Amino acid sequence: MSTYVYGITAASHPTVPEDLTGVGDPALPVRVLTVGELAAIVSDAPEGLRPKRRDLLAHQNVLSEAGADGCILPMRFGSVAPDDDTVTGVLAERSEHYKERLRTLDGKVEYNVKATHDEEAVLHRVMSDNPDVRAMTEANRKAGGGSYEDRLRLGEMVVAAVKAREAEDAGLVQSALEPLADAISVGPESSGWLANVSFLVERDSAASFLEAVDELRKAHPHLDLRVNGPLPPYSFVDPGPAEPAGTTVGIDHAEE
Amino acid sequence: MTVVPAQQGGGGGGSSGLYDVLELVLDRGLVIDAFVRVSLVGIEILKIDVRVVVASVDTYLRFAEACNRLDLESGPNKSPGLPDVVGSITESGARGKSKGALSGAAETISDAFKQAREGDGQSESRPRARKSTASRRKEEQE
Repeated sequence: MSTYVYGITAASHPTVPEDLTGVGDPALPVRVLTVGELAAIVSDAPEGLRPKRRDLLAHQNVLSEAGADGCILPMRFGSVAPDDDTVTGVLAERSEHYKERLRTLDGKVEYNVKATHDEEAVLHRVMSDNPDVRAMTEANRKAGGGSYEDRLRLGEMVVAAVKAREAEDAGLVQSALEPLADAISVGPESSGWLANVSFLVERDSAASFLEAVDELRKAHPHLDLRVNGPLPPYSFVDPGPAEPAGTTVGIDHAEE
Repeated sequence: MTVVPAQQGGGGGGSSGLYDVLELVLDRGLVIDAFVRVSLVGIEILKIDVRVVVASVDTYLRFAEACNRLDLESGPNKSPGLPDVVGSITESGARGKSKGALSGAAETISDAFKQAREGDGQSESRPRARKSTASRRKEEQE
């Protein structure tokens, strides 16, 4: 039976609740494999595991339970070892590395912030900032909507203005919240949001971080900010080579 | 897509937040090369969002249309709204329904722009000021 791994934590860390269950249908019981000072939170791996909603939630749930009162290094979803011995072997082999990661991330949680524009509000903004767009909108309306080419030209202009605004606001979100975080990790760009940034925040200063988000909301009503957290430090477990220098302040030097 | 009021979920575990943490659960977190990972074929679908701003003819037309509607519904000037359009049609009588309504709207728009310009950027984004405009205008006319 292969072994599904949720995360790695310190063995001294209070163990997971008795009846905690994880992935699979029916949900499989969660176990703890201890190796020296480290522990892996695991369960049996179900046959034919796929990234389904209930299993993604189960993964996330086990991590938040096991990380509720101590640091846990979250595994990426779907990590399966051939057996328990492989897991304990990896922990033993790389124990110094994982212990160091746990120390570095101790007492810290991840908050992920995604920003989008409220479309109507941002269009108002673009209109009031941009006389050309106003003039062309007006001209088109007077012409009963404008010709196909006119509408294309206006649309192109508006899209460019909205995009410029997106870039500006992405910088704004990041620079407003960065001072409250120990480290940040900029997520991949996507069409779904204009900013997707994870912040590593001291558990104890989470309240002031959330306050800062609220301030930002009030100051910029055209921004739609979605905050998720506290989360296990998904984005800060492993300083990957792909991260540009300086985006993981306080993490980089800890690697050596 | 569900829109979740932005509160922090306890432990981030609630299903409501799944969409937003999906990419963290699937794309970040520790990877150990001695382990295998389940196949994520098909998962890309989950990452596609409707709010796409890409440069395409369709997008341009959509935004042009959005701008067209914008001030009619909630611009700095009070837009007629339905009841008043009906009113102006009765006033203009023989001029014909559509013409009356259209020219009325055009006037409102040019007024709106005049105001916006004179008000030197005072026309802050007020996305939710729409509801009351029709009734306010009615009062002004009476």
